[in-house]
Amino acid sequence: MPPITTPAIILGALRYGDTSKIVRLATRDLGIRSALAKGALRPRSRFGASLQLLSEGVAHLYLKETRDLQTLAAFDLTSLRSGLAADLPRFSAAAAIGEVAWRFSPAESHPDSYDLLSGALTVLETAPEEAIEVLGLRMLWRLVSVLGFAPALDRCARDGTPLPPDTPLRFSAAEGGGLCSRCADGHGVSTLAPVDRRALEALVSSEAELPVFDERHAASHRRLFARFLRHHLAEGGEMPAITFWEERSWVSR
Amino acid sequence: MRAIEALVTELARLPGIGRKTAQRLTFHLLQQGPEESSRLARALDTVATTVRACAECGYVAEEERCEFCRDARRDAGLICVVEEAASVQAVERSTEFRGRYHVLGGRLSPLDGIGPESLRIDSLLERVRGGGVREVILATNPSMEGEVTATYLHQVLAGEGLRVTRLARGLPMGGDLEYVDGVTLAHALLARQDIVG
Ligand SMILES: [Zn+2]
Ligand SMILES: [Zn+2]
Repeated sequence: MPPITTPAIILGALRYGDTSKIVRLATRDLGIRSALAKGALRPRSRFGASLQLLSEGVAHLYLKETRDLQTLAAFDLTSLRSGLAADLPRFSAAAAIGEVAWRFSPAESHPDSYDLLSGALTVLETAPEEAIEVLGLRMLWRLVSVLGFAPALDRCARDGTPLPPDTPLRFSAAEGGGLCSRCADGHGVSTLAPVDRRALEALVSSEAELPVFDERHAASHRRLFARFLRHHLAEGGEMPAITFWEERSWVSR
Repeated sequence: MRAIEALVTELARLPGIGRKTAQRLTFHLLQQGPEESSRLARALDTVATTVRACAECGYVAEEERCEFCRDARRDAGLICVVEEAASVQAVERSTEFRGRYHVLGGRLSPLDGIGPESLRIDSLLERVRGGGVREVILATNPSMEGEVTATYLHQVLAGEGLRVTRLARGLPMGGDLEYVDGVTLAHALLARQDIVG
């Protein structure tokens, strides 16, 4: 039986044995998959340079639906995305988006999130350095929204009560969005001033003009997204790339 | 049996060794008799108690400093920065490099939570600031993480008043230096380029 081909993005690669790699793939037609690339570490492997983190190509997969690990027969590279390595802010934003895709994409095909991921990596590869911060935030919020986890911003996340626009937003990461005055009992709720609320709405939207941040505001928006992800989606699970992107520990050096 | 189980578990922790291979190794040792196992145990114990990281460069050493840092004929003004000790061996095996090394102990990797603070970058800066270093060659692996580590180090070293170079392009992307054939690696080192930007 011939392998099935699908556009795919490499979201991670682990060494397996002395000569092989296990790759995590976001595929357009087959959802999220893990696959064994036999011999990928050999000097003259047929995979050559192609199995790089965040690179995109056409994966040729032998599927056994009863197994978690598929076999990658070939990967025809379409974009190496080497420009993502140009600086650490760019690379960490891209890795964070890749981690969200890996953790929260459905197991079955979901072309909308795949296309968003692919587009986001292309944008991050070429955007000017000063735009990376806010673009990273936009892409992360867009990705969770396309995956069906958009934060509730105009209705209470718990009981659906409309939240009046242009007022402070009581945001609960655990509940997944804003809360009305009745539901917001103070626990784990952070209040966003109208200007920060508008910035968040702009980030989540696909069309709104991007907000302009200073580093202090950018840091609180990164924190907000990371908390939303951890408490609402990841149930406290580890998200190393999100933490890396959120904390920017390299900046203080 | 608990003793056998414990050995299988330890062996299976090693890279590239699955449970089945660990079992095979364990039974092989049992068949060879106690002398064989004791010799292996002694070798492991010796390594564990005498080998450490070189205080200067992070490579493996049996004394405070490694063989390269103690060798006065080695050019201390030229430092080749690599991810792992295995890369030092690859460079030694295949090139005429006569400088010294600096082993980072990994590469920047957000997905593994490895940031600059987890690597031996401060000690590299210390060496550079100690004076006498003319050139730092960034010989991180030709992979995405290796590239981003090199660009980050270049930023950190900029302004220190020395030449910073990167192995020439043409190394097969995706492998580790230890898998690159010797001729290619020797050429990449000779044809190293100044980093612009
Ligand atoms: Zn409510
Ligand atoms: Zn040394």
